Amino acid sequence: MYGWIWRHLPGNAWVRALISLAMVLAVVFVLFQYVFPWAEPLLPFNDVTVDEGSGAAP
Amino acid sequence: MSRARRRSAQPPRDRSVLAGFLSVLGELLITVGLVLGLFVAYSLWWTNVLADRQASARGDEIRRQWQQPSPGGAAQQPAGPGALDTRGGIGFLHVPAMENGEVLVKPGTSPDVLNEGVAGYYTEPVKAALPWEAKGNFTLAAHRDGHGAKFHDIDKVKDGDALVFETRDTWYVYKVFAELRQTSKYDVDVINPVPKESGRTAPGRYITLTTCTPVYTSKYRYVVWGELVRTEKVDARRTPPAELRR
Repeated sequence: MYGWIWRHLPGNAWVRALISLAMVLAVVFVLFQYVFPWAEPLLPFNDVTVDEGSGAAP
Repeated sequence: MSRARRRSAQPPRDRSVLAGFLSVLGELLITVGLVLGLFVAYSLWWTNVLADRQASARGDEIRRQWQQPSPGGAAQQPAGPGALDTRGGIGFLHVPAMENGEVLVKPGTSPDVLNEGVAGYYTEPVKAALPWEAKGNFTLAAHRDGHGAKFHDIDKVKDGDALVFETRDTWYVYKVFAELRQTSKYDVDVINPVPKESGRTAPGRYITLTTCTPVYTSKYRYVVWGELVRTEKVDARRTPPAELRR
């Protein structure tokens, strides 16, 4: 998979490394900006209140 | 020799398909591991960065508002109906034992509110009494980890410690009298006007802090109760009460 991506990047090894780094940063950005904020409320790590257990309140 | 060379040059088709499949699977598993590691960094570090930034900007705004003379009667308690925009925050909680400075307090305990790095007072299932009300329980919730982690060190708060709530013109000084180190998340009686399990049976002016426990999980709730010992008028230089001057 990663080998396949590497082989299909243009340029010499330095250019490919630079493009790879940019791609990694882009993936991390998308994760932090969109994926993790979406996933976090679905996971049971951060409920701090007491409630009636209806599931409506956190 | 010739057999070996032939095999390395042209491996059997089914074996190369299997090897390719396994190598993609391995790379995917490594990727999942890295993503989970990033998620931990996001939860325990990045959300704190965002929430602290947001809360401190919001806190500065509140303090700026406080410096301006209020439209109706400067010495008014902020209890007048419609007189105060509570959504921006009603004041700051100082807990010297937690050593985390001031915590902005806003209405509501939904994730949207608490994720801004503030403590929220309960509006449901039991509505909190605000500190300036004659009787009742000022019930607060905040995150233990992530999103500012404002109540992270709640286990450092012991009997006799001070909890100070600061509004525009009054310091409300509370003393802790009981802790409940672990209770069910459905235990809503802990935020009653006369909190059950705190040992008190008569109405009074109480404060309740709730958060999740053990750290990094939400399995149980941790509760700290205090009661009002005195109030102090805020002077022109906002001199903090003795409890905060250590």
